[in-house]
Amino acid sequence: MKSNLSRLIMAGLIGLGATASPAAAGSVENLERERAIMLETMLKSDLTPQERHEKVRVSKRRLIDLERIVLRDKALTGRNSPAVNRAFANYDLTFLAHASTEKNLLVTDHWLEQLGLTSQNIMAAARRRR
Amino acid sequence: MTTLKSNKSQWGLLGFAAVLLATATVMPVYAATGAEQPTWRPAVSEKFVKLPNTYLKKALDRDFSDSPLAEAIRTMDSEIKLKMQTLADLQSATDQAEGDVLTELRHQFLAQKQEYLDLMKSRQNLRTKHYKTRIKVYQRLLKKMSREHSSQSSAKAKLVERQTEARTRFEQSAETIDMKMFASTIAPESRYSQEYAKNLSAANTLLQAISSHPMNEQKAGTGPSVSKPDYVRELLASTEAELSLINQEGEIVGYMAKLVALDARALAEQIAENDADLLEPDKPVGVSSAVALFIH
Repeated sequence: MKSNLSRLIMAGLIGLGATASPAAAGSVENLERERAIMLETMLKSDLTPQERHEKVRVSKRRLIDLERIVLRDKALTGRNSPAVNRAFANYDLTFLAHASTEKNLLVTDHWLEQLGLTSQNIMAAARRRR
Repeated sequence: MTTLKSNKSQWGLLGFAAVLLATATVMPVYAATGAEQPTWRPAVSEKFVKLPNTYLKKALDRDFSDSPLAEAIRTMDSEIKLKMQTLADLQSATDQAEGDVLTELRHQFLAQKQEYLDLMKSRQNLRTKHYKTRIKVYQRLLKKMSREHSSQSSAKAKLVERQTEARTRFEQSAETIDMKMFASTIAPESRYSQEYAKNLSAANTLLQAISSHPMNEQKAGTGPSVSKPDYVRELLASTEAELSLINQEGEIVGYMAKLVALDARALAEQIAENDADLLEPDKPVGVSSAVALFIH
């Protein structure tokens, strides 16, 4: 009885360090996949602006959840893998939905801005032989 | 008649002393007998490293308490208590005795003192073993902790820093983003967000219960929080201090042994002085003492 009780206490105490259950493995990969699909949608030339807008809107809602799952996933803390490293290297590019909403920009505009492609830049660009 | 009565009481005292000795014959002196040494083999597992500070020592104490070494120390303690009782009884018996019985009782008293010192020495050996093992455990724990700490390379530290920054930024903007996303559009909040908010409120209720739990308050009230390596180093220092005190006790036992040896020598000399066979022969009578016999 006594040993069972002490075992229970020990298990509880050890459990304290791991109270937050990690999200399912591959939360970063899921986010990357959804983000890639969204970017692909943004760049697809065979879509009408209306279709593109609708698809991006739906994708953004999914991205919001996936980004939150990654940001709240404590199992990723300190996991020094290339995927995790890349994900946290640039908040604005990885967490597109959050960063764009934070800046009151459309996801597409925010992404292009992060890549250094503003309307002014494009307009100022000159075609010349390399 | 009086002499006979006195002799009878003296022999009674001697008999009492013999009974005392008979009850104190069991003496678990492991070193002398060569019996299997009692040991304590604590396993420094992840469990110890992960345990909160206050429970680390308790867990180790419990582990030790269940070991053969702890059992041997407990047995030794009770033996020493019995031996001290025997010594006290013998001392009071010695105070009442005289003549041969007194000599015999003094001899027994010295023999019992010697056995007491042997017991003390054995207990000190066991306690030294206990504290040395404890020191090894703490050192291994520290090594394990420092290994874990050093394995966190600079790249990893950088990653953790970036993750913390990302989470802080997210926490700061989450509410605003929720307002923008779900209040301005016709789309309702996702199932994940709803469930997460529900679970978060449940988790907060539990956290509140944990923080107001009496055991948690007791833990927090024990003093300023220290890091685990600091706490283990503190335990290490106090164990070293215990070991040093045992060494000092060893010196005291040494002095006691010296006194017993001196007492034994004194007793031996006293017995020799009283022994008629060993008395010094009369000095040869000088010729001058016979001068008076020749003078008329």
